[in-house]
Amino acid sequence: MNSNFSCKTCASADQKLETFISNLSQETSHHRVEGQSVKCGFGLQGICCRLCSNGPCRITPNGPKGVCGATADTIVARNFLRAVAAGSGCYIHIVENTALLLKKTAANKGLLKGKRALKKLSEIFEIKDADEYICAEKIADAVLADLYKPDYVKMELVEKMAYKPRFDRWKELGILPGGAKSEVFAGVVKTSTNLNSDPVNMYLHCLKLGISTGLYGLTLTNLLNDVILGEPSIRLAPVGLRVIDPDYINIMITGHQHSIFAYLQDRLIESDVIAKANAVGAKGFKLVGCTCVGQDLQLRGEHYQEIFNGHAGNNFTSEAILATGAIDAVLSEFNCSLPGIEPICDELKIKQICLDDVAKKANAELKPFVFEERAVQSDEIIDEIIDAYTARRGDIVLNMMPEHGNDDTLTGVSEGSLKDFLGGTWKPLIDLIVSGDIKGIAGVVGCSSLTAGGHDVLTVGLVKELIAKDILVLSAGCSSGGLENVGLMSPSAASLAGPKLRAVCESLGIPPVLNFGPCLAIGRLELVATELAEAIGVDLPQLPLVLSAPQWLEEQALADGAFGLALGLPLHLGLPPFVTGSPVAVQVFTQDMLNLTGGQLIIDDNAKTAAATLNEIIEKKRRELNI
Amino acid sequence: MKRIIIDREKCDGCLNCNVACISAHQEGSNFYTVNLQGVDSETRNFIKFDSKTGYTPIFCRHCDEPECVLSCMSGALEKDPETGHVQYDETKCAACFMCVMNCPYGVLKPDTRTRTKLIKCDFCEDKKDGPSCVAACPKKAIEVKEVSL
Repeated sequence: MNSNFSCKTCASADQKLETFISNLSQETSHHRVEGQSVKCGFGLQGICCRLCSNGPCRITPNGPKGVCGATADTIVARNFLRAVAAGSGCYIHIVENTALLLKKTAANKGLLKGKRALKKLSEIFEIKDADEYICAEKIADAVLADLYKPDYVKMELVEKMAYKPRFDRWKELGILPGGAKSEVFAGVVKTSTNLNSDPVNMYLHCLKLGISTGLYGLTLTNLLNDVILGEPSIRLAPVGLRVIDPDYINIMITGHQHSIFAYLQDRLIESDVIAKANAVGAKGFKLVGCTCVGQDLQLRGEHYQEIFNGHAGNNFTSEAILATGAIDAVLSEFNCSLPGIEPICDELKIKQICLDDVAKKANAELKPFVFEERAVQSDEIIDEIIDAYTARRGDIVLNMMPEHGNDDTLTGVSEGSLKDFLGGTWKPLIDLIVSGDIKGIAGVVGCSSLTAGGHDVLTVGLVKELIAKDILVLSAGCSSGGLENVGLMSPSAASLAGPKLRAVCESLGIPPVLNFGPCLAIGRLELVATELAEAIGVDLPQLPLVLSAPQWLEEQALADGAFGLALGLPLHLGLPPFVTGSPVAVQVFTQDMLNLTGGQLIIDDNAKTAAATLNEIIEKKRRELNI
Repeated sequence: MKRIIIDREKCDGCLNCNVACISAHQEGSNFYTVNLQGVDSETRNFIKFDSKTGYTPIFCRHCDEPECVLSCMSGALEKDPETGHVQYDETKCAACFMCVMNCPYGVLKPDTRTRTKLIKCDFCEDKKDGPSCVAACPKKAIEVKEVSL
């Protein structure tokens, strides 16, 4: 094992985790931050172009254009659209797989746990068949048919899914997306060498990708998964490294495609499989949540209480989770499966199996999930993990951290479960917003990163500032992993809220930060926002609602961000998305977007001032609504 | 006395030292916001590329016997006896640019906009962490070292 690494780790909002990581003998991402602290100025501004062999070209005082003549505005727009297209591609891959799985599950008359989600989708899609399997198959087919359309044929479900005022605005702007996969393709083509040089055209394409990403990659993935796996239901659950129980054979799951685990997670609690575990000295199997698929499992934890032991942490906690030594296998099917877990798995003899080749780890076994072979594949996986458990547990010294996290994180919040909690109507929430007891809503979403102060530092700092201003926070993504582990999703966190929000939370027994789960659930936040707007009779940009991805990490987050801007919402980011080298980009994102969609980008890496800005926006929107 | 010491073998020509220098002299800017396209976006350090010798970082040496100071008739350039750094006082400058003519390393230049001022390394004396270019070099091709005279 490499012992020649920095002993200085980056800060974390999670003090216990920071101490745990700083004492590890394994290198983690937190150790590598220092060595990467010197950043390239051209990269940060997005003004480096590597599209041809005349480059790399960078915009400098002596070189204001690339060799081809591309300006900073063109270079930045190409780089940005390329990133958004890649991010969109990731989410579209997820929804495609999920729809295919639903189709096959329905065709095989498999178990469909989410009857209400099925009914809801049937209504939206106007499918009237009585047989639930036929409905499910038609739903999957409708989604797939849209995804596979060419870019010159508009997707049909957009109008059914979107809030009408938004759909009308998108139509006016000419940004209704064609087939989602083709739009990714078109975005990539536009950004290739000496093709599109018009920044505005490329930013409008980003909005198109935002719409297809949001409605399909996010919203529909959630609902399709709900049909297969069951709908979220509100409950209190344990979180943090404490959820790892060394008496069991533990499997850490990473990725975004919950339905890939549908068969396996049920199989793992069948008596013959438990007997296999018992035979090697374990009590049975447990899934340990990590990254967004862990959040998804936590969200639906009500249905998986026996197999799921809880969510341990977000993407940049994954190395620490493995370093406990009590994880016997990693099953990964998508990001965030950090390359940094590979040497730790090697050292601690942790079996790695990748279930989707898009997330193939260099030193892992590839076993692409095949629906028709799920039974055989699951048993093979189980046997391999048992072998790993047997081979490793005698040798590995455990480094547990039972004091990390808490036992009372409120999970399972969704557009459905929250409405149920409110009595089947949004009226109580709207009344609280009108009365000012809840000043507004902030969706604090997206990833966790190790910049902007350190691991979850800005996210946690911003959320504390927002709740202190009586703004209710809804969270989705790896940000949730950090927020829950530091206790902000426990009912006792109400004491950190402003007096009005605190009173609301205490009377309802809820925390001031509601956990919607994975980044995919940004789509659920959109459903909540749309239903609130519908109930009040306004368009989304008029709501006292802001979005923030304080520690956005990667290309998918940029596609999410494009969705937020298409929805017309103010969007705060802690750090700029590599666009500040272009005056046109800055103008479009911070000013012109207000006239296009109503959205606006706000960049601020300071929790206090960012919260103040978001608070001002919420107060302004309240005044405009006369509340 | 502190000097910027160059290890040209380590330089990859990334120009981050240029960005850092421009930013350090552009009020209120950082790496995200520094304007690299304005006529006032002037760098005080340079990277020269030669296909035979590779990259050569050219930085002000704050020479022991500075030709720029010796040739300055107005007293705008002075060598600080304590720090050893050659400092420039714009208010005293007559813009004769004898310093530019005499710099053996070709590192000095008049400002592009007005051609009435000298663009010269000030060792980022106002920055507590020392020269911005050194902090921004990912390869440690330039480092501040204590030297004795």
